[in-house]
Amino acid sequence: MIEMIKASRCPRCEMVVAPPASYCPHHPVLMTPITVPGMGEIVSFTTLHTPPAGFKSPLHLAIVELDGGARFVCHGSDVKGLKVGADVAIEAIDNIYYFSSLGAMDRARLFWRRTGRAGERVNAIARSLAKRMWRSRTIDKSA
Amino acid sequence: MPDVFVAGVGMTRVGRRGEPLPELMADAAHAALAEAGLDAPEAIVVATMNPEEFVGDGNFASNVATQMGFADVPTLRVETATSSGAAAFYAGFAQVAAGLRASVLVVGGEKMTHLATPKVSELIGRSIDPYERAYGATMPALAGLVTRALLTRGAITSREIAQVAVKNHANGARNPLAHFQEPVTLEEVLESRMVADPLRLLHCCPISDGAAAVVLTAEPSHVRVAGIGQGTDTLAVRHRRELTSFTATRMAAREAFGMARFGPERVDVAEVHDAFTPFELISLEDLGLFPQGKAGRATLDGDTALDGRLPINTSGGLKARGHPLAATGIAQIVECVWQLTGRAHGRQVPHATRALAHSIGGLATNNWVTLLEARA
Repeated sequence: MIEMIKASRCPRCEMVVAPPASYCPHHPVLMTPITVPGMGEIVSFTTLHTPPAGFKSPLHLAIVELDGGARFVCHGSDVKGLKVGADVAIEAIDNIYYFSSLGAMDRARLFWRRTGRAGERVNAIARSLAKRMWRSRTIDKSA
Repeated sequence: MPDVFVAGVGMTRVGRRGEPLPELMADAAHAALAEAGLDAPEAIVVATMNPEEFVGDGNFASNVATQMGFADVPTLRVETATSSGAAAFYAGFAQVAAGLRASVLVVGGEKMTHLATPKVSELIGRSIDPYERAYGATMPALAGLVTRALLTRGAITSREIAQVAVKNHANGARNPLAHFQEPVTLEEVLESRMVADPLRLLHCCPISDGAAAVVLTAEPSHVRVAGIGQGTDTLAVRHRRELTSFTATRMAAREAFGMARFGPERVDVAEVHDAFTPFELISLEDLGLFPQGKAGRATLDGDTALDGRLPINTSGGLKARGHPLAATGIAQIVECVWQLTGRAHGRQVPHATRALAHSIGGLATNNWVTLLEARA
């Protein structure tokens, strides 16, 4: 299953941005809400070894060029062997987007189905942490 | 448009400073005024990026003016993130060029070293797009993304990026006002701690305190402001088609060279925004100082060293002189003026008559190019 990501398109220059914005960054016109498939190509990625407060080190960040046109910033659970230009799928784990191979996503989906979704009020940082802690636990178990 | 001149410059030593920020700024300002032979300017433009959070004070234009004895001088504050100093210089230039004021003091400063590094990173990070920030993006993280894109494109090599740090530290070692006055080796840079892969600690500028000031006048002086350009880009890095070149720099350079009516080939010495060393290489090409794809090789070959064809960052740059945010854009201009007037002691470039200062705001969202010319 490919996740659909909310985006918006400029009626004047056709630029697509995700998440959606009211105004096009380059034109003073209202953008049209659309959705784009959560798959694309890695434009660049980095691993942050001193992430800001609330994020666990190392923090993997990537810019992904979605097939629908927008460039998207997301987390990754691993960058081992990752290359610029690699095809990735993107999935939201409780509103935090991760790029990943489908196999890992399937496991994540199963996990979240079991534990249920965190409350809407839990902030993004806490959710990110939970996801990362879970991943390191599962990696430990399989080791 | 009437000519505008730099009649005086001043700056503090950059580094870890104990003095309160207004005191540092007063020191730089009074040095610049003394050189200009002025008791008081007709107006003041203050540059500070975020004194509200770094030092806890607001209404900072009045704060600084009052604490340097100029409560009666009209003062305003200008902010464009890390290029605030260059923006303030523009605001001062515009006032004199428009004939509104005959003299304007432009003074910038920042004080950050009293805060823990994660806090400083967080505060600087406020200038990043909120969505990208929510994903943990910091300035080094975004610079890491840019650097990986550069390396992947094959445009530059790790050694070339590291050599920028080696060169700028070597220059900083000749500048008594620089934050870092110790040279570093290529090996030390290449083996330093990874910060935002592939960006390492010694690719990054330090957290610094400091202040710098210039006095702009309508009355002729030794250095004329030949051109100023501003360039802008999207706040969000993900909204850009190109990561390995900064639109905001190219736009600013076009405007500045257009105003100056000369081209990049006439520049003798330049201060370039090297908050992260790959940015110096990107900028040299965006500014037109080196052809596309040639800046890295030229750096390894020593073309940008103090004795090279086009010395870059003779002050040590942000990398070694230090980066007290809003002071930086003005400190770059101070170094250019010293070069143009033969006062860059220990690091003087012979016969420098045209200088360029390039300042990046945020992750290249609001950049400035300033061109200065020595008068015969």
